[in-house]
Amino acid sequence: MRRYIVRRLIHMVITLFAMMTIMFFMFRLLPGDPTMTMISSVMYPKAQEAMRAQFGLDKPLIEQYLIYLKNYSTLNFGYSFHSSREVSELLSGRIVNTLVLILPSMIVAYGLGALLGALLGWYRGGRFETSVVFVATALQAAPVFWLGMLAILLFSINLGWFPPGHLVTPGMFPDQDLRMYVSADFLHHLALPFLVHTAYQICFPLLLMRSSMLATIGEDFVEFARIKGLRERKILFGHAARNSLLPVATTIPMILSWALAGSVVIETVFSWPGLGKLMIEGVQRSDFPVVQAAFFLIAVLTIIGTFTADLLYGLLDPRIVYD
Amino acid sequence: MSTQAGSKSAVPHVLDIRDLCVRFRTKRGIADALDHVSLSIPKSASVGLVGESGCGKSTLMKAAIDVLAENAEVTAGSVYYHDLDLLAAPAETVRQKRWAGISMITQSALNALNPVKKVGDQIVEAIRAHRNMSRKDAWARAEEMLQLVGVDPKRAREYPHQFSGGMRQRAIIAMSLVLSPDLVLADEPTTSLDVIVQDQIFRKIRSLQEELGFSLLLVTHDLGVVIENCDRIAVMYAGQVVEEGPVDQVVNTPFHPYTLGLKNSLPRIDAVSEPIAIPGGPPDPIEMPKGCRFAPRCPFAQDACRQTKPELVSVGAGHRAACIRQAEIPGLRAEAAKIGTWAKVAVKSEEVVE
Ligand SMILES: Nc1ncnc2c1ncn2[C@@H]1O[C@H](COP(=O)(O)OP(=O)(O)OP(=O)(O)O)[C@@H](O)[C@H]1O
Ligand code: SF4
Ligand SMILES: [Mg+2]
Repeated sequence: MRRYIVRRLIHMVITLFAMMTIMFFMFRLLPGDPTMTMISSVMYPKAQEAMRAQFGLDKPLIEQYLIYLKNYSTLNFGYSFHSSREVSELLSGRIVNTLVLILPSMIVAYGLGALLGALLGWYRGGRFETSVVFVATALQAAPVFWLGMLAILLFSINLGWFPPGHLVTPGMFPDQDLRMYVSADFLHHLALPFLVHTAYQICFPLLLMRSSMLATIGEDFVEFARIKGLRERKILFGHAARNSLLPVATTIPMILSWALAGSVVIETVFSWPGLGKLMIEGVQRSDFPVVQAAFFLIAVLTIIGTFTADLLYGLLDPRIVYD
Repeated sequence: MSTQAGSKSAVPHVLDIRDLCVRFRTKRGIADALDHVSLSIPKSASVGLVGESGCGKSTLMKAAIDVLAENAEVTAGSVYYHDLDLLAAPAETVRQKRWAGISMITQSALNALNPVKKVGDQIVEAIRAHRNMSRKDAWARAEEMLQLVGVDPKRAREYPHQFSGGMRQRAIIAMSLVLSPDLVLADEPTTSLDVIVQDQIFRKIRSLQEELGFSLLLVTHDLGVVIENCDRIAVMYAGQVVEEGPVDQVVNTPFHPYTLGLKNSLPRIDAVSEPIAIPGGPPDPIEMPKGCRFAPRCPFAQDACRQTKPELVSVGAGHRAACIRQAEIPGLRAEAAKIGTWAKVAVKSEEVVE
C-alpha cells in the first residue's frame, strides 16, 4: 500500500510536469504573442527591449522554460499583466471559491445519485422509475449554462428566492475573510449555483447506479443473501447496492475532472469568482500569466482528485491489490 | 389441513412438499417447471434428488424456501416446514425460518459469496440476522464452524477470491450449519470440484450429519453419489417426480423406464458393458408432451402413454412410480439393460426430427 502511494505520487509529479511542459510550449506556439497587450509596437524600440528583458523574454526559449519550471514549482506564478498584482494573490481566494462550489456539489451528486439509483434499481418496474429515468436523461443532455439561465430566470428573477449571482452581497464582506464562507448571505448566494450544478451532475451517477443495480440483482450472491434469511434492507444496502457501487465509483475521477474543468461555465453564468471565471477574465484581457496559472491549478486539483478517488476505490474493492 | 394429519402420524417430516406447481414467465411463453411435485423429507434422513439438467431440481429447492426468481409463479401446492406452510406464511416468518431452520448450499457456491466481503463477515452476517449475538461472539462461532469443516479459522479474515474452490465450498458448508438448522438443502454441492475434493466434502457432510442430526436434501446428477450418501431417492423428469422410494429399492428394482435408463449410465462393476446414455433430450418446458412426458424417449412407450398422464402409484413399501406400464416393468428390466433397446429410440427420435 505504501509503495503504491509513493508510486502514484511519482506518477502525479510526472503528469504535472508533462502538463506544464505542454502548456508552456503550447502558449508560445499559438498564434498571437501573449505579450502583445503589454508591449505594443508603437512603443519606442528601447522601451520594448526593456520590457522584454523585464519579463525575461530576451532569454533563449529553453532558459525561459527552465525559469518557468523553477518558478512554478515554488508556486511563484509571476505578475498579472492586467493589474500588476501577484498572480498567486489573485488565485488564492479563487481556489477556495471553486472548491466550495464544486466539491460539496459533487459529493451530494454522487451520494444522493447513488442512493436514488440504488432504490430505483431495487424497486424497479414502476411508473416512478420510468419518469425519473426520463427526467435524468433529459437533464443530463441539457447544457449547464442553459440550466443555469433557466434557474436564474425562474428562482431569481420571477420568484426572487435567490440572488442571481456573486459570492455575497457586494460590500458586505470588504475584507473577504473566512467568516464570509460561513455567513448566511454566502449560503444564500451559493444555493442556486449549487442546486443547478448538483441537479446536472446527479444524473450520471444515478443512471449508472440504476443499471449497475439491475445487473447486480441477478447475481448469485444477492439470491444467496436472501436464502440466508437476511432482511431486505440488509440485502439492498449490504449486498446489492454495495457491489453496484464499484462501477459507479470508477467514474468519479473522470467526472470530477470534467466538473473542475467545466467550472468555467457555471461560474460564468452565476458570476461566481472562481478559477474558471478567473481564467475567462484572463483570456478576455489577454492576461497570459493569470490564464496559465489558472490552467495549472485546475490541472493540479484534477490530479489530486483522481488520486484520492483511486485510493477510495481500493477501499471499496478488496480484490484490487496495491503493489 | 386434514391431509397433513395423515402424513404426520406415521413419520415426522421436516419438510413436506405437496402438489407443488411452478411456472416461469419467459419471452417464449410459460415454462412449466414443476408439475404437481410432492416430496417429503423425514427427520434426520438424507433424500437424494436426481434428474437431468433442467428437470426442475433447483426450482424445487428454491420454491421450498420461497426464493424463486421474479418471473416465477407458484400456481398450486404447499410447502410445509414442520407445521408451517411457507408459501402461505407472512414474509417475515419465512425469513426467520430461512437458514435458522432450512439452510441451503447453492449450486454455484463459488458465486454465492460476495466478492467484496470477508468470508468471516458473511458468516457473521448470517448468524446475526437470526440470533441476538454480539459481533465478537458471532465471529468466534464462525471461526469454530470453519475449523469444523477443515478450514483454518484465521482465513475468516480473507476475501473469497483468496480461497480455493474447495475452501469456498467448505466455507459455504460451514455457513449452512452455523445456526444448526434441522434441514440442509444441498444443490450439487460439489459440481465444480475435482473428484478427490468432492469425496472429502461428501464425507465431511456425512460425518457432520451424524454428529448434528440434520436432514438433507441432496441434488445431484450422479446416481452413484445418492447410493453412497442417501436413504431415500426421488427421480425427477421434466418437472415431475417419476419415481421415489428407499435408495436400495429404487436402484435395485426401478419401476420407471427413466430410472432404468439412469441406472444404465452408472459405471458397472463388471465393466463388461459400457455405460448407456439415454438418447435424446428433455422436452421443451414451454410445450410439454400431453401424456407421459418421457414417452418421446421411452423404449416401452405405447399409444396409451401419449394420451394419459401417469400418476404416482405405490409399487412397493414406501416406493412409488409414475408409469402406466409399471406392472410390466419387472419383465422389461433385462431388456432395458441392453444397449439395443435404447438405440431403437435414438433412431426413432431422429426420424421425428427429419
Ligand atoms: N428464472 C427462470 N426463468 C425462466 N425459466 C427458468 C428460470 N429458472 C429456471 N427455469 C427453467 O425451469 C426449468 C428447471 O430449471 P432448474 O434450474 O430447476 O433445473 P435443474 O434441474 O436445477 O437443472 P441443473 O441440473 O442444470 O441445475 C428449466 O427448463 C429452466 O430453463
Ligand atoms: S408411461 Fe409409457 S412412456 Fe411413460 S415411462 Fe411408462 S412406458 Fe414409458
Ligand atoms: Mg440446478
